[in-house]
Amino acid sequence: MSYFFQLVVSGIVVGSIYALSALGFVLIYKSSRVLNIAHGQIIAAGAFITYALTVWAGIPIYISFILSLIITFFLAMGVERIFLRRLIGEPIISVIMVTIGLMSIIDGLVYLTPFGTENFSFPEFLPAHPLTVYGVSISWTQMVGVIITAIMIGGFSWFFTKSTLGISMRAVSDDQLASMSVGISIPRVFGLAWATAGLSAAAAGSIIGNITGLNFDTLHAFGIAVFPVVILGGLDSIVGAVVAGIIMGLIQQFAAGYLDGNWGLNGTANVLPYIILLIILLFKPHGLFGTHEIERV
Amino acid sequence: MATNRWVATGNYFTSYKDEQRIFLTHFDRLIFCCMLVLVFAWPLFISVSDRTLLVIDNILIAIVAILGLNLLTGFAGLISIGHAAFVGVGAYTLASFSHLLGDRHILITHAWPLMILISGGVGAGFGALVGLPAFRLKHLYLAIATLSFQMIFEWVINFMKFFNQGQTIFVGRVFWFTGKIARKQHYQFWYYVILVVVVIAGFAVRNLLRTRYGRCLVAVRDNDRAADAMGMSPGLTKVYAFALAGFFAGVAGALHAYLYRGVGFESFTLHHSITYLAMAIVGGLGTLVGSFFGPIAIYMLDLLVENLAEYVGHLLPAVMNLSTALRPLTFGLVIVLFLMFEPRGIANWWRIARTYFKLWPFRY
Repeated sequence: MSYFFQLVVSGIVVGSIYALSALGFVLIYKSSRVLNIAHGQIIAAGAFITYALTVWAGIPIYISFILSLIITFFLAMGVERIFLRRLIGEPIISVIMVTIGLMSIIDGLVYLTPFGTENFSFPEFLPAHPLTVYGVSISWTQMVGVIITAIMIGGFSWFFTKSTLGISMRAVSDDQLASMSVGISIPRVFGLAWATAGLSAAAAGSIIGNITGLNFDTLHAFGIAVFPVVILGGLDSIVGAVVAGIIMGLIQQFAAGYLDGNWGLNGTANVLPYIILLIILLFKPHGLFGTHEIERV
Repeated sequence: MATNRWVATGNYFTSYKDEQRIFLTHFDRLIFCCMLVLVFAWPLFISVSDRTLLVIDNILIAIVAILGLNLLTGFAGLISIGHAAFVGVGAYTLASFSHLLGDRHILITHAWPLMILISGGVGAGFGALVGLPAFRLKHLYLAIATLSFQMIFEWVINFMKFFNQGQTIFVGRVFWFTGKIARKQHYQFWYYVILVVVVIAGFAVRNLLRTRYGRCLVAVRDNDRAADAMGMSPGLTKVYAFALAGFFAGVAGALHAYLYRGVGFESFTLHHSITYLAMAIVGGLGTLVGSFFGPIAIYMLDLLVENLAEYVGHLLPAVMNLSTALRPLTFGLVIVLFLMFEPRGIANWWRIARTYFKLWPFRY
């Protein structure tokens, strides 16, 4: 039984990381209808910035974490300004391809730094021995990761329900024309959506980097792994991203724990999300919490 | 009015049939035939190294795949981020035959045109399967469906014992009427085979676009509800488009397997899917000539970057990662710049050049 609970705990850890990664993705989609394929690269960039500030610049990790959030905030805003602003109103394939091009460019930039080829790991700043309760163990880094994720998600939900900026972002995603008429600047909201997405991506990246170590391939793989999560939760639902993230984390851990090794299966955790994705697309394309789009073929 | 069938300075169509002609003037037809003779004859006069020939063969295979992708993304407006997986389905169809029958079985070595067709058919089947969500969904969701197909394909190849877990599965050398194709003639032989396939595929696509179904595709892309009201079935049209794209991809995959005399996992990754999309965009979406320009341009760029990286690597040996860095960097920049400044791709330059020569010496 403790094996089961162990899987539940690690599922929640992985799931909360998924939730945080998916959050940024959904933010961008919700406000500007852009499918950001470069999200994984932004996650990786955030993690690398945190590492560079902590180890190379010697700043305490808590401060460098916050600094990295701020830097990625402005970087993502700049990306929106340079690459995506002029594509507003272009066909969807152009917008998707621009994010793919962006992905390649960030890849290239990362390969210029040592991060592209070498592995790094954050210095230990938490107790090394895991916390064990009734035979279920959780390491301190995982624990802190989950707590930071919870704080971030709480902060975002406060931002979207209470602050004027957050409400204007929701208004834009609801009806652009109506929100323009009450004086909301749409380009500004798009920029802000990218910026907050970058911020959450940097947080996710730093947490992943702390748990698994800094490897470019693992980090940017999260950008693709986020697709099943957002489809399950509904492409434009923030609640959906969080719930589906945790569900997907649990599914993956259970698949790895119970399916692998039996019946000649292996690595099912990597493929099961995509099979679920296809099934959801066939039967319930708007996911658990997404808006029902009336326009269908 | 009796129109001059050799040069046309404008549109003088008097019937729809006139407009549907493949070659508008005899001059066009003449140039096309000259080009055809040229591409078939040059290997007889100029001898190039196997390495160059391999690159050219790769470009031609990519053209076959892009013809399918352009049909899907350009003409039907459905984004596919999993085209390499369809190419892989074709290649692995051949590989499964080779795995089951042995790589020197008579079916593989002698009946290879049949095998290429079968691979195309299997590709079409998988295409239709992945396209099934098209009955309910629109562009964005479909793009994600193809992406997930790519991921599932990669997993299946990597973890199934049957597919050698992504390691190379060998395919034997083929026979022609003159006997077994020797190592020396291998690339030249396949150059001709692939060239023939490219010509057939090009004409097939061109003719397809003249048919009822081709116009249906464009109508569904431009406005699917209007197309529905006119009595077309948008869902079915899209599934057919996926099947057709899968067919071209499957044929390209089988050719790839024969050319390399083996099938390995690393030629059909997500990265390749993205490269295919980039080829389609750089060439020009929704144009036939774009399918030819795109692969050539991207392969040229690749070679150029390789040379540049080598050159810079000699100058600054300290920059070890430069060659790995330059490739994605230029690739991404080219995509982004094309989308920003020339969304209609190289095909648009071709169009501009053509009109210039057509109207010369006048400006317009």
